[in-house]
Amino acid sequence: MRFWDHQENARTETRRLLLAFAVAVALLVAGVHGALTLAWWLMNAILPIRLPFPAGFMAVNIGMTLFFILGGWWLETAQLRAGGIKLAVRVGAREARPGSSYAEHRLCNIVQELCIAANMPVPKVMVLARTPAINAFAAGWDASDAVVAVTQGALDYLNREELQGMVAHELSHLHEGDTRLKMRLAGMVFGLELVHHFGDMVRERRGLATLFGSAIMAAGWIGWLAGQVLKAAVSRQREYLADARAVQWTRNQQGLGGVLRKVLAQQADTDAQQRHHQELNHPSVQHMLLVDLDGAGRWGRWLDSHPTLADRVQRIYGRPMPPLPLVRQEVVMAEQPLRPKPILQPGPNSLAAQVDPFARFL
Amino acid sequence: MNWTTWVPLLVLAAVVWWAINIYNRLIQLRNRIANAFGQIDVQLKRRHDLVPNLIEVARGYLQHEASTLEAVIQARGLAQGAGRTARSQPTDAAAIGALAVAEGVLGASLGRLLAVAESYPDLKADATMASLSEELTSTENRIGFARQAYNDQVLDFNNAATQFPALLIARLLGFAPAAMLESTQSDAERQVPRVQF
Repeated sequence: MRFWDHQENARTETRRLLLAFAVAVALLVAGVHGALTLAWWLMNAILPIRLPFPAGFMAVNIGMTLFFILGGWWLETAQLRAGGIKLAVRVGAREARPGSSYAEHRLCNIVQELCIAANMPVPKVMVLARTPAINAFAAGWDASDAVVAVTQGALDYLNREELQGMVAHELSHLHEGDTRLKMRLAGMVFGLELVHHFGDMVRERRGLATLFGSAIMAAGWIGWLAGQVLKAAVSRQREYLADARAVQWTRNQQGLGGVLRKVLAQQADTDAQQRHHQELNHPSVQHMLLVDLDGAGRWGRWLDSHPTLADRVQRIYGRPMPPLPLVRQEVVMAEQPLRPKPILQPGPNSLAAQVDPFARFL
Repeated sequence: MNWTTWVPLLVLAAVVWWAINIYNRLIQLRNRIANAFGQIDVQLKRRHDLVPNLIEVARGYLQHEASTLEAVIQARGLAQGAGRTARSQPTDAAAIGALAVAEGVLGASLGRLLAVAESYPDLKADATMASLSEELTSTENRIGFARQAYNDQVLDFNNAATQFPALLIARLLGFAPAAMLESTQSDAERQVPRVQF
């Protein structure tokens, strides 16, 4: 039962990282004060004057910094919590139509099934009908505007098991409150960024202000960077947790494992990937996706919101697995004709299917 | 008041507070188990409601498979009867066992019907049948997931009730570890099913 251990690990790691985040904020406050003190000393050393620290120097520094961090946090969070459904619509998702398409009927069924396994309310199901890449995201501040959106590529290329694994992963993000946690962290990082911007603003006044502005800016930048790195690290842990949850709910590694291996195959064709993801290239959706858009390592590994696919596949199976060839559904099904429960699979993507989505299932 | 009087009082208050928390947590988890059990029943009802529609569509194509269809109808009747009995006596282990057997028979006969339907291309191509078949697959999954969710809740409860400090409170207040659902309830069921065509 490795997935229980994976879940426990991810939870412990998240707690540790959130503590580190709190420490980083405290350090930033101390850092701004320290930088300003240093700037004051420098001023005294360079200029032929001797000034004592002004009254309430420390209180004002700490108060101003906290004001910016908490204010920015509050502003950004208030904006982000505007709604999961609104966000999904903005990136081109529409509500699933279980009555008119077999694939979407199946998708809605899968979401309802898994909500029983997860013991949670059913979110709204949406489809990104113009995105051929395999991907999905979950969004929403609370149960009333929770949404799970799946791309057309996922509906086309994944079989029922795999779609189940993918949906289970996204439902875990809703169940564990990850969407909310990520919005809160994004708000916090924005607050840290504001400190940096404030320093920049002070610097524009020229003269002595340049010295103090630069001090605030440097401290703010380091705080912002630390915030980004910690936010990404938390996000990676939540992905591991969601992967383990998906395996727990479906009791099936092949499901989510198959999805990730197919995405590995799809990502090998990076050109097509860039083209396919145009709609999803929206900053407020990126960190909620099943797989992130640019998988390549750079030094940005530290800032990536998702672990590498190979790493996730290895955790799911307990050993590295090769990518699954990205073939149309029916070919995959033909290799395993003796299924205990026959499920109707879509047929070849014929001309009729271009007009009538149901034609492929007849 | 000196410290020899209020320190023990403070410790006592902390212990009582801790015990109340543990107690409430255990009650919460136990209620969730009851709720999860109710979910299984809801999904079984869904399966019963689906059968008449499925038979209606299949009957047109499967004139030569009357016995398969008859078996499904019969199994559904038995399962519904067993369900009524089990609901009226929810604590009776024998009634629950009978329900499990009846549902097992219904599941097996539905599986047989779908297998037979595979060899009838016309039936497979029927749009209503395709959507009913998807519904049936989903319902079977829901029943499985509801049982799994029940077992997961039992695991949560047992983990909370049998780990060390909480174990003391659980034992003191008589919280016994809950039992998980087994996939099979009787020796007869545990045997490999015989497939007849």
